[in-house]
Amino acid sequence: MAERQVTVKAEVGLHARPAATFVQTAAKSSLDVTVAKAGGQPVNAKSILGVLSLDVRQGDSVVIRAEGEGAEELLDRLADIASAP
Amino acid sequence: MTTVLAPVAGAAVGLEAVPDPVFSGGLVGPGAAIDPAREPGRALSPIDGKIVKLHPHAFVVVGDDGRGILVHLGIDTVQLRGEGFEPLAAEGDRVRAGQPVVAWDPAAVEAGGRSPVCPVVALDASEGSVTGLAEGTVGAGDELFEWR
Repeated sequence: MAERQVTVKAEVGLHARPAATFVQTAAKSSLDVTVAKAGGQPVNAKSILGVLSLDVRQGDSVVIRAEGEGAEELLDRLADIASAP
Repeated sequence: MTTVLAPVAGAAVGLEAVPDPVFSGGLVGPGAAIDPAREPGRALSPIDGKIVKLHPHAFVVVGDDGRGILVHLGIDTVQLRGEGFEPLAAEGDRVRAGQPVVAWDPAAVEAGGRSPVCPVVALDASEGSVTGLAEGTVGAGDELFEWR
């Protein structure tokens, strides 16, 4: 299982555009991908409902996990989106 | 099948009419949008369910079947930090379709230089699963679309 932990820098948190872009990117992969607030329960990173329900705010830390072929590259992309200002 | 009600009164317009590419491009999901009547009003729950997220400017209601609907009151209204919005329910509350969730004033949002258009989005819905979109004038609580 590969993972990345990043701090969300966007003013709106992981909502609106960052959330939609994050979920769209995850959904294009065939891998199982989860995202959680640090220490919290993971949700399916391909679900916009799941990601919005996490209610990630600016400054929160999130953990993104995936497993399988291409997981590292996918996590790099997702980490970039989640941590973009 | 889920019948989704119009949370606010106004003119039913397509999501493509929303001045925010996140919504108009369908990135959040399929659905509809309402250009609201410019008068103080109350935004209603579009379905029976539980309020899983309640921000002053937006909320998500999830039905017992797990389907979630996002109601966003105006565009870029997160910047208002709640000013002009009054929650009438609490996160975690069970609500009936048509029950008031947030009081707001679309005219005040517009006066502040923002679009008061309200996207109503079927979260995680597949393309083509939203049908029967209302057209023209809708009242709050009227049928807005069906989610197959």
